Amino acid sequence: MTTRFRVSTITTRLTGLLIAGYLLAIPINAISASQAPTIRLFPTTVLEEIRHTGTVAKDMETGLQAVIVRLDEQQQLYIESKCEGNEGDPGCERIARQLGKSYLEMLDIMSASLPEMEAAVNSTSSSLEKRIRKELGHKKTPWSLQELLLNQESQRGNGERPALRGRSGMRLSDRFNQYYQLVARSGGQVNSSLAVIAADIYLDMQETSSLIARTREEIGRATLMEQLNQSFGTITPEMQEVVAGVKAILFGESEEFIPMAPPPAGPASLEYESPLQL
Amino acid sequence: MNRHHRFRTTGLIAAGVMTGILAACGSNPPQDTACMLPEGPNLDRAISQSRFDLKTGCEHRFDSYFKRLLSIAEGDPKPENKASFSEFLIWANEEGLLSKRQARETYNRYFGIKYVSLIGDYSVCTQTCPQQSEVMRDMDRELADKEQGLLKISADRRSYHRASRLYQEAELVLEATCEACGPAE
Repeated sequence: MTTRFRVSTITTRLTGLLIAGYLLAIPINAISASQAPTIRLFPTTVLEEIRHTGTVAKDMETGLQAVIVRLDEQQQLYIESKCEGNEGDPGCERIARQLGKSYLEMLDIMSASLPEMEAAVNSTSSSLEKRIRKELGHKKTPWSLQELLLNQESQRGNGERPALRGRSGMRLSDRFNQYYQLVARSGGQVNSSLAVIAADIYLDMQETSSLIARTREEIGRATLMEQLNQSFGTITPEMQEVVAGVKAILFGESEEFIPMAPPPAGPASLEYESPLQL
Repeated sequence: MNRHHRFRTTGLIAAGVMTGILAACGSNPPQDTACMLPEGPNLDRAISQSRFDLKTGCEHRFDSYFKRLLSIAEGDPKPENKASFSEFLIWANEEGLLSKRQARETYNRYFGIKYVSLIGDYSVCTQTCPQQSEVMRDMDRELADKEQGLLKISADRRSYHRASRLYQEAELVLEATCEACGPAE
């Protein structure tokens, strides 16, 4: 029970992290490359790694999709057969065992897919780390860094900016696809808003990597527990939570997404400029 | 004759002492009365009074006067207040009450979008990351000052929104950058 609960908790947290959709609001066309200072955060190698991570995520989703559908159907049957609170019934026990088998299958697939996913995420994270360290950590002073950020804001225009570390119910593979599209469409040109995007992706990758590692450990324990439970033919709320968590990774999460309010309208050109202005 | 002379001498001494006392009072008035912070809702009048007081012996209370002016300006928020504070700080610099750098930093802390907490000439990895949490605390305090200066005094919601957004982005980018920089070099 405890192990399942932990897997469930971690999966839920992982889901939350994996389903950030903060790239939807970025207007690619609004980003002007001509005035920004030169920073190279996304060379071709990093782009390729992001694309590869998206492909691995897609494969994981495809592999899990069939078993998730089956789990849904079995759970539905269990409910419709009024098995809840009637666990001693032989028919219900049979459905519960089938459900448990599907659950084990799902854990197996996750267990097989996660190492590759982890490797891809770690590789992307490591490459981004090097670029961020060089381009933002060593080349920029704190003052020039904030000028870069302020510059990107004026280039993007009012109200058109990425929602930071938000969630929008997006599939994992779609999210990586958006990362890729966003960065690739800038055409390798100078683009200072990429500083924020790079920071966001990098931090996300760091957390994701850590949670994947922990999830892998917990899946081993959850598998063992479920193998033991098979002899009793019962399903637990925790098992349902894990399935729900994995579904959220596959199909996106429906958490409420609260976008940041756009900046208030105002005549920018009429702003007072003091001789003391920095 | 001698007696008359003695009276005259005593009178002159007394007059001299009185003049001295009065002159001393003129240049160094008792602080209780002379360094009274301005009252009332009128910012221009408050600035005039502050200028007079700060020029005549109350310069050690510059910070209190400035804070009082901010507080008075909150009562009548309008874009023109920015110019009033800018002029006041320029005047303070010209009078030698503040250095040019202090005047600039004070103005920008309250009325600028950029953060004076991020002033620095060395790289982010070298200068900011070893004291990242302290820098963020300073920025946090500065954001509160910008809220007062831009929002409550100047009614400039747009600039405050930009400052607030800059804070969020700087926090995110600094977090990632300092993570990438690794342990202090």
